[in-house]
Amino acid sequence: MITGRRLDIATTRATEFIDVTPRLQAEVERSRMSNGRLFVQSLHTTMGLLVNENEPLLLGDFESLLERVAPGGGVYLHDDFSRRAAVPDDEPANGHAHCRQVFLSPALTVLVEDGRLLLGRWQAVFAVELDGPRQRTLALQLDGEFAGAAARRDLVELELARQLAVDPEAVQVPMRRLVEAGGKRVRPLLVTLGSRLGPRADALRTATLAAAVELIHAATLVHDDYVDESPTRRGQPTVAAQEGAGRAIAVGDYYFAKATRVIAELGDAAVTSTIAEAMEAICRAEVDDVALRGSYPGDHGSYLQVVRGKTAALMAAACVSGAQLAGAAPPAVDRLRRYGELLGTAFQMADDVVDYSETSGKPAGQDIRQRTLSLPLIYAHEDHEVGPQIRDLLNGELNDADVSRVAELVKSSGALARVGEEARGLARAAVHALEGVELNGAAAGFDELAHSAVDRVS
Amino acid sequence: MKPTLEIAERDLESLDAIWSGGLGEAWEAYRDHHPDGRVVLAAALVETGVQLQGLGAHIAPPGELLLGDLCLARASRLLADAGDRDLQVAFARAVETVAAEAATGEAVSPIRDLLRSALAK
Repeated sequence: MITGRRLDIATTRATEFIDVTPRLQAEVERSRMSNGRLFVQSLHTTMGLLVNENEPLLLGDFESLLERVAPGGGVYLHDDFSRRAAVPDDEPANGHAHCRQVFLSPALTVLVEDGRLLLGRWQAVFAVELDGPRQRTLALQLDGEFAGAAARRDLVELELARQLAVDPEAVQVPMRRLVEAGGKRVRPLLVTLGSRLGPRADALRTATLAAAVELIHAATLVHDDYVDESPTRRGQPTVAAQEGAGRAIAVGDYYFAKATRVIAELGDAAVTSTIAEAMEAICRAEVDDVALRGSYPGDHGSYLQVVRGKTAALMAAACVSGAQLAGAAPPAVDRLRRYGELLGTAFQMADDVVDYSETSGKPAGQDIRQRTLSLPLIYAHEDHEVGPQIRDLLNGELNDADVSRVAELVKSSGALARVGEEARGLARAAVHALEGVELNGAAAGFDELAHSAVDRVS
Repeated sequence: MKPTLEIAERDLESLDAIWSGGLGEAWEAYRDHHPDGRVVLAAALVETGVQLQGLGAHIAPPGELLLGDLCLARASRLLADAGDRDLQVAFARAVETVAAEAATGEAVSPIRDLLRSALAK
């Protein structure tokens, strides 16, 4: 399992050695990774990374060394703005900082054993500011074994397989292919985490609910892919593409109904209501989504209206139903609902950004091609520089070259960074919504899920 | 005529257009089979949803598929509101039956018979 997150650093001096070892250790503990590797990467050309001893005089030596290697008052071609193209108004004269960075590493790996960073007695990890003070970000990825998560995930996977195994082949085979092709299993995880808040958590009943919620999600994907004419999903042909539209409609219907039945058979009226209301919200948003394509690409308000239904409703219901099944107190359930709504919205925004990457698992520019509401496109469409070009392109039939051009314009507009930041803000708000709630050891899981939902590449 | 006294406004939200396109007739067909108006509307919505989606009959265009999904989801919510777990299970089984039949290419059982049978229990 791999999970990602960001570490924000506010530097205070032009050259500064910031010992980030305690914060990296805290991130490892928060993730509950027991064994694996922590990858750290600077996202800046004038900030490097270093592993060495945290001794103040030695750090002074390093600073002197960097000053000798690339003096701050030296002459650098990079600082001759008259010879450079497209120099921003706020461009600093920082050739020395870039040259110093050559002698540092932009990325490093630290091994993790038994939940601890594997560092020697005198080793510390430094982020080295070379052109401060600035707001900086380090990207982290943790790749390894995560305590507790594996056992819970295995139980849900077993239950999913068990629920599918008894179904007629005509519906089972295409659904099993979709489910086994992967997926992040965010909703089952939310059910499982939510169940930790109640006094009557039962692992088997929780797994049954979690698997049923995942089947609802999968059923929506089967119908979505038909509506959007998507050729692939999770790197494989969609059910509609492979089996035909008639089969796809039947498969989606079958699993909507089956999941509803399995949940009703759990015998908890509150859980049944929670899921039923979420399903209705999803379907209403799907209808709205198609209707809004007439005013494509839409605006922030219509985007949120659709996302709250299409994505956030089921995530919130997953949290809430897990807690309700375990008998959690209503105030805690309400906070969980808020967490799920914020997480779901953040998740969809991150998904919109991922659609512009090569690693999305979907055909490049799919959202644009299918005229799906997408926040980066909405922001770029509103941009005074690239907006007019995007509007011209969207007014006509889009061929592959047009889709690529729109994607390039969106990327150049800064909209992806803006949406990414908005998503991270929502993820932070989701974690904040749970403050003060007794989470019975699930805090790290909720925290981790919120961060990994927005800092991902696929 | 639409029986506004027996159906809450929100239960027909986004579905007004299909009332005269089959939902109203379906409602009439179930109204004497259960005393709870929410259950009657749920049965009508399941039947209309299945028909909109063309299970076993034709391939529904995307718009009708989504409206059908909304009908089925609203029916499920109405049954949850009515608090009738047995009917929730029975109606779901009816949809599972016709969906599985449609997927395998078999003749699809009449959904009205399945639902009336569930209401009779």
